[in-house]
Amino acid sequence: MNGNNGNNNNGLSQSGETCIDVRGLWKIFGHDSEKILSSDACNSSKETILGETGSVLALRDVSFEVNQGELFVIMGLSGSGKSTLIRCILRLIEPTEGEIIISGEDICGYDNKQLMELRRNTTGMIFQYFGLFPHRTVLDNVAYGLKVKGVGKEERYARAREVIEKVGLKEWESYFPSALSGGMQQRVGIARALANDPEVLLMDEPFSGLDPLIRRQMQDELIAIQAEVQKTILFVTHDLDEALKLGSRIAIMRDGEIIQIGTPEEVITAPSDDYVREFVQDASPAKVVTAKSIMEQPRVLLYEWQGPKTALALMRSNRLDDAFVVTRTGGLQGMVTIEGLVRLIRNKGNFLHEALEPDLPVSTADMVLEDLFPLAVSTRYPIAVVDEKGKFMGYVHTGTILGSMIQEKVEEEKEMGEDEEKEEGEVQKDEKMEVRTKDIKDIEEETRIDA
Amino acid sequence: MLEFPASVSLPLAQWVDAIMSWILVNWGVFFDAIGSGILFGLLHIERFLLWLPWVVVVLLVGVVAWRVMRKWWLGLLMAAFFVLIGSLGYWDLSMMTLAIIIAAVIISLAIGIPTGILMARSNAAESILKPILDAMQTMPSFVYLIPALMLFGLGKVPAVFATIIYAVPPVIRLTDVGIRQVSPNVVEAAEAFGSSARQTLFEVQLPLAMPSIMVGVNQTTMMALAMVVIASMIGARGLGLEVLLAINRIEVGRGFAAGLCIVLLAIVIDRVTHALAAKQEQATLT
Ligand SMILES: Nc1ncnc2c1ncn2[C@@H]1O[C@H](COP(=O)(O)OP(=O)(O)OP(=O)(O)O)[C@@H](O)[C@H]1O
Ligand SMILES: [Mg+2]
Repeated sequence: MNGNNGNNNNGLSQSGETCIDVRGLWKIFGHDSEKILSSDACNSSKETILGETGSVLALRDVSFEVNQGELFVIMGLSGSGKSTLIRCILRLIEPTEGEIIISGEDICGYDNKQLMELRRNTTGMIFQYFGLFPHRTVLDNVAYGLKVKGVGKEERYARAREVIEKVGLKEWESYFPSALSGGMQQRVGIARALANDPEVLLMDEPFSGLDPLIRRQMQDELIAIQAEVQKTILFVTHDLDEALKLGSRIAIMRDGEIIQIGTPEEVITAPSDDYVREFVQDASPAKVVTAKSIMEQPRVLLYEWQGPKTALALMRSNRLDDAFVVTRTGGLQGMVTIEGLVRLIRNKGNFLHEALEPDLPVSTADMVLEDLFPLAVSTRYPIAVVDEKGKFMGYVHTGTILGSMIQEKVEEEKEMGEDEEKEEGEVQKDEKMEVRTKDIKDIEEETRIDA
Repeated sequence: MLEFPASVSLPLAQWVDAIMSWILVNWGVFFDAIGSGILFGLLHIERFLLWLPWVVVVLLVGVVAWRVMRKWWLGLLMAAFFVLIGSLGYWDLSMMTLAIIIAAVIISLAIGIPTGILMARSNAAESILKPILDAMQTMPSFVYLIPALMLFGLGKVPAVFATIIYAVPPVIRLTDVGIRQVSPNVVEAAEAFGSSARQTLFEVQLPLAMPSIMVGVNQTTMMALAMVVIASMIGARGLGLEVLLAINRIEVGRGFAAGLCIVLLAIVIDRVTHALAAKQEQATLT
């Protein structure tokens, strides 16, 4: 559906440096784990190993890298080894074999003290079942990591209060966890992990226990927090929608193996095998295909200082009806149409910005089809795509958006009927074209006279 | 063929005797040191309790009971029990008994809680200690008097020693259970935030095991009280001895009065430690 997903990296904020590097990680639960690993048995399936040796193969040769500032999602069905993997990374479970390199150091060689320091200073973990301390108040729960580190009472409480406020639990700091709802408890869990200000956050199905509404809210909050504090996050989930929404990259696990790593779009549009395909079949591209990936570059880009006649000439020679106007620094200013320019010249206007079309639809680079759709149906212009700073990046045809939505509908329901709409659109366009050609002829004459 | 052949005999009694005398010869100094340690502590507790004016003791009992059970009339009742003990003429003997109980309980906890912690942290330790504890609890209580007697002779020290051996299993067991039943999620969270083993124990496991440990303290105390009566057979002065003498002389009235004092003491101690355990439970549940 779009050809450029291979080189399209959805992560907006990675510096590209590797933060967590997992290489050839194995975990076998059972007595003879080393022996199984060194024998041929480790090549057989999980079931075979369980049947023959009674040991559970939880991770098989897992390798991946997480970049600094990336939100990396690990996804898989229940029992696929996600929790085991995330626990191995902090060595809460000892891996049987493999390397785990965090910030350049292989932590498998760490002794207890180094491991403690790592957990105190570099990482923070958020658990599926919260793991709050029932005998401590919210404040003391959040301050726990700092207490363990030996931070003084006043300082640690001040810091804890700060984080508690950030997660919106200010009035609850003196309550015990049992007085809080599930969603609030998980916020305490998040606050507790954030209080240490760790570089790396490990989250094991943090939102799975919450009902859908709160869950979505928490996801949005996580995105907001991530935008603000820029942590490296390893996020485990078994929920595809969650993975697609949060992840800059997704690793899909099955029976202890990673079977595909890619951006949400890659996973959806190019599943590596039937298992992944089945896994992602419910996901609609509308939720993952971004404006950035389907946008096009305009043949002509107008600059604000150009005169209307130059603009008109440029557009005419490129057979364009409309063109975007940008500022000196590349910021999007608006769009002009041939009609607008003609009117401007007739009124003896000199500046392009006087002819800008009102209500220009604008999208950000990471908006997905689903969100673009309402824009597309409410406008007759192409949709401009800008980055966070308002810089012009490209544009998307409304036709492309509608087309892909329709295509999806057709695929889904095998129903026709949408074509009528399309035809109608084309008819309208033809009419417009006639009007324009007429206007242009007028203007052409005028410009000739001027010259 | 009807009688068990005399030739098949196991001289177990002799063996045990041999072991005991070997211990006495080789470890005599060690047990002497322990004995004088216990005696030293015990005498101080006893002297202190007897030195305290009775009014102070009664007031103390009343206030503590009231604070712990949160009902003023229960405080009053417990204080009244102590006044009754005094009016029956058994104040001094009760204080002596109380002293032995306190000494035995303190030592039991000092041994029992660390042992319980050890058991909770090591499966090997648990599998060794559990059958021993089971055996200790099924043994008739006066059996403990024999080794106590052999090691320390007659007197208060063997009484305390026998009491400790009899009373220590519950607190060990309940400390172990209490720590093991702390949710693994919570312990994992503590570890994930970089707690040392010590910090995990003191910040998370012990506080959460506290209700269970307090139940252990309650049971240990009650068993100490039961044992201290029996231990009077080997020379511990106190209420038990009074009952024993009354039995020997068939003095029903005297036996009844002394027995009543034991019951009153038992009620006060039980209610107070029980309320403490309940309070702990509530504290961790809120
Ligand atoms: N302590 C253990 N001893 C033996 N086997 C274990 C242990 N922990 C996990 N396993 C096994 O390892 C495999 C992976 O378990 P894991 O908990 O990592 O799965 P998961 O992907 O997190 O599943 P879920 O989505 O249900 O949380 C399972 O087959 C499980 O039975
Ligand atoms: Mg899991």
